[in-house]
Amino acid sequence: MSAPLTETTPSVSSPETDELPIIELVRPMPGFPGHRRFVLVRLDDAGLLYTFTSADAPELRFLVIPPLPFFPNYAPEVDSETLELLGVDDPDRLLVLLVVTVGGSAREATANLMAPILVDQVNRRAVQAVLTGSGLPVRAPLGC
Amino acid sequence: MLVLTRRPGESVMIGDDVVVTVLEVRGDVVRIGIRAPRDVQVHREEVYRELRQANQEAASPNEEAVRDLARLLQPPASES
Repeated sequence: MSAPLTETTPSVSSPETDELPIIELVRPMPGFPGHRRFVLVRLDDAGLLYTFTSADAPELRFLVIPPLPFFPNYAPEVDSETLELLGVDDPDRLLVLLVVTVGGSAREATANLMAPILVDQVNRRAVQAVLTGSGLPVRAPLGC
Repeated sequence: MLVLTRRPGESVMIGDDVVVTVLEVRGDVVRIGIRAPRDVQVHREEVYRELRQANQEAASPNEEAVRDLARLLQPPASES
């Protein structure tokens, strides 16, 4: 069983907020085995750019974006095992974020469509899902 | 590296709760079934390596690049 994800507005704190809610990865991101606790910080007024920052090692951070403004047709299918892992029965509770690689310059920025970060907005558990077999690119140009 | 010989239908245990079963051998292709706890990631090696590399390249971009990207993403109306 799988369920299509619908877009939701990220409910996160502004950069000014002192105490940001901790998001806990139920499974570390590949390449970063020691990091499970993160906070989501909005960088701009429009809500297009966020950082996903390690709560325990703030020098580790990822730029993340909501898919909708950049990839309007993006509709990842999340399998039931991933939903169970997060403890979610309603896919609408999930916030979808894409990891951005800036690389040499901002115009070359890409987003990882194959491995979105899914955040349960209720229990704040998260996972970087790997949509194996989806054919989605790991480096899709943002086109800005 | 530990090397074991198995026939189709036979399995290997890794730790207490990971079971790797050889399902079918046909020519130079082997089909493998893996049963593991949900919090254990199982990926084809090349997929895992690509993902790990992508994450490592994405991690901790420099401030200037982030500012440039934020500027690029600004709605045109607010640029003046």
